[in-house]
Amino acid sequence: MLTKELAIFELDRDRLVPERLTRHRHRHYLGYARAMLSIYAKGLGCTRQELHARVKALFRGEPDCPPQRIAAFCKLLDEDRVAQYETDRRGQAAALRLKVFTLAGPMHPLVEVRDRLFEHAETEAKESIARQLGRSTWAQVEPELFADVFECNRLQQFTGYASPEALLSRYNVAQVQAALFRATRLRIEARADFQRIITHAKLARLLHDIRPGPGAGYTIILDGPASVLRETRRYGADMAKFLPALLSCRDWRLEAEVRLRGYGPPVRLELSSESGLKSPMPPPPEFDSSVEAAFARKWGTEARNGWSLRRAGRILQQGQTVFVPDFVLNHADGREILLEIVGFWTPEYLRAKIGKLKLFQGRSILLAVAERVASKWKDRPAGLILYKTALKLDGVLEALEAGWPRA
Amino acid sequence: MEQAGKSPPLKFDRGTLLLRHPPPKRVAHLCRRDARGEGWRCDALHYKAVAQALNEEARAYLVEIAGRGRITWPQANLPRLRPDQEAAAAAWMQSRRGVLVMPTGTGKTEVALHIMHRVAAPTLVVAPVRDLMYQWHRRIQERLGYDAGIIGDNTFNKRPVSVTTYDSACIYMQDFGNDFGLLIFDECHHLPGPMRSDAARMSTAPFRLGLTATPERSDGREAALDGLIGPVVFRFPLAQARGTILADYEVQRIPVYLSALEQARYDQCSETIRRHMLERRQEDPEYSGYDLRREYAKSPEARQVLAALRAKQSIEDRASEKLRVLADLFRLHPDQRVLVFTGSNAMAREVSVRFLIPCLLHHCRKNERRQVLEGFRDGRFRAIVANQVLDEGVDLPEAKIAVVLGGLSSAKQAKQRLGRILRRRGQEQALLYEVVCRETKEEARSRRRRNSDAYQGTRHFRTRP
Repeated sequence: MLTKELAIFELDRDRLVPERLTRHRHRHYLGYARAMLSIYAKGLGCTRQELHARVKALFRGEPDCPPQRIAAFCKLLDEDRVAQYETDRRGQAAALRLKVFTLAGPMHPLVEVRDRLFEHAETEAKESIARQLGRSTWAQVEPELFADVFECNRLQQFTGYASPEALLSRYNVAQVQAALFRATRLRIEARADFQRIITHAKLARLLHDIRPGPGAGYTIILDGPASVLRETRRYGADMAKFLPALLSCRDWRLEAEVRLRGYGPPVRLELSSESGLKSPMPPPPEFDSSVEAAFARKWGTEARNGWSLRRAGRILQQGQTVFVPDFVLNHADGREILLEIVGFWTPEYLRAKIGKLKLFQGRSILLAVAERVASKWKDRPAGLILYKTALKLDGVLEALEAGWPRA
Repeated sequence: MEQAGKSPPLKFDRGTLLLRHPPPKRVAHLCRRDARGEGWRCDALHYKAVAQALNEEARAYLVEIAGRGRITWPQANLPRLRPDQEAAAAAWMQSRRGVLVMPTGTGKTEVALHIMHRVAAPTLVVAPVRDLMYQWHRRIQERLGYDAGIIGDNTFNKRPVSVTTYDSACIYMQDFGNDFGLLIFDECHHLPGPMRSDAARMSTAPFRLGLTATPERSDGREAALDGLIGPVVFRFPLAQARGTILADYEVQRIPVYLSALEQARYDQCSETIRRHMLERRQEDPEYSGYDLRREYAKSPEARQVLAALRAKQSIEDRASEKLRVLADLFRLHPDQRVLVFTGSNAMAREVSVRFLIPCLLHHCRKNERRQVLEGFRDGRFRAIVANQVLDEGVDLPEAKIAVVLGGLSSAKQAKQRLGRILRRRGQEQALLYEVVCRETKEEARSRRRRNSDAYQGTRHFRTRP
């Protein structure tokens, strides 16, 4: 990720628009991206400083290029994922320095030309130190003296980006992330992939507040514990971390509240699943298991006995605990039943699931449980649908007819 | 799994306190309803007030707060405090929260160690930079015989008594804010600020000590210290310190001239800037450096002008004559420890390579710093060079000579840099050399520096050794 100093954006009244390099306006950047990738690919053994200078030189005649953009490209090319630098972990440079300074200590001060008072001249002293270290000249020692300094690290390996386009699309996402470093709150209107949104918000240690609507979707508000006390940007980095997961989801709209400075009104950053930003994460799988997938396929799209089936369309919540049952069954008469399939999972998974179900006892949740799992479940409730390898439509329809589950 | 029904009535939750029931009236104004967690929240900072109010209402509250244990110090070896130091410690102990304003060199660390010893609670010391963090670690070891934990500098080793930096404290306080009873903020003028304040806000510690020589901030945020740590409970003015506790000191200003080549480049840069500004002001009389910076993104010309500005600064900073002056100063004080401050990391490395003296920069790891400082103390290294790492408080008791080769002009920095060489040692006088380029902006900066409180009453004379 970038740092917040590298964020480039425009303000359109109270709307913050992160910089975006587009095919239309920045066609020529494809050439730059290609050239930058080639500088790095050919730059094995060069110092960070040298590589950055070459990238900078590339843009010398470019009228449309703020300095943060160059710095941002360098940062993305340096990311751990794509580039490895020799960082002198064993402290060789530091050890060398101490040796050199210790040898030079008794000769202090090193004067330009020796005289009657001070007998150690800089050049002679340095050559003599080099010899004591087993090198033939000082010129061999000096470049190693500060090899551990960040800007003097040497490039060891560069896997790079798949294509110039990939670098540019990473850049565009990184700019949104950099703007989010100053965000105080995210507001997401989601219509699908609730589970992934919530799971990744939790992984980023954000707290959620979920409200139904608009329409059949949900509004998910994300911030942190202290956000209820004061507006704070301390969770901005967590929000930036969460962004790639959101970008991989379908059918959402994001509005982020951003504070550029401590004073002045907040500004908004808007984004949606239609914004065309590419996530480095693959899209979420449509179904968690083959049992779910097979069941949905068998059911099809039509209504059966008045019941229609929807995939993971309801969020149940209690405090920060959230449960998204696998399916929602709606009857033409307005009844709604939630269907959760408990497949073949580990004992820990089962324990967590049972805990969750207890928390949401009051809700109409129909449970379909694999027989192998059910046998391990002590004091399991009545009214379960048991299945062997595949969940059958008839089983579910019969249970619905029988008036299960009884809330 | 977190279950609403089972959560304790009062709980530390990532830097905040989560109350299950409506808060008592007396502290209600500190709390907000939090619909997400089904309860009320307030800053962990208010722990003492909230817990007290709850106890007074005699509700049977289970309070899950750590950090209330007692520390037994393995081997306390504390020398007696001077009367003024004792007054500072006593003033703080009355309320067990507040700020001590004591100039560098008056022994505020000693006072803090005595306070740690008396309070004997799990303690977190927050220092501005890594060197100071390690210095605290060493002092705690020496004086209290305790091997404190270190949080920061790529290390995370938390113990009941630990040392850390402001940045690490701000990041991690949400995770361990309920583990300490006493917080010590060294150079506490760094604490106010929207994010940094979290280092104090997100902790439940009831006892808080702030130490600073200069509580004033240029943004006026020092008032916030009152809420975050406590009021100023003791003030030891610098003017009083000088001459009694501290060695007398003298500032010598040495003007240097740019070499012909440097001067030519410098003038060329000045001309580029002047011409650009002149041209633009014909169209827009209000045109300023601010406008120039705004054009940076779009105009290669503006970029050239700004590059010229930077080049000027760099020429000043790294003027070759400065190295010659430094050589002369080293000749002048061959047997004394000399501390050199530079305006940039690059210049510090240049000095280091020219004279083969150690430089202390941010990349130096713990071990190297320790060895360099030890070597400086025992005389193996007679000079060391630093950029800003040494700006504040790193313990170098016997350095009497400091050289400033450029740097920023804020009064605070000048005070703290002076503080480096003001340590008492007999009647010996300390010397601060300021090496500045003539006819450049640096001279104005140096003048501003000398006008600050720290320099008042010192003698200045121009010399060229």
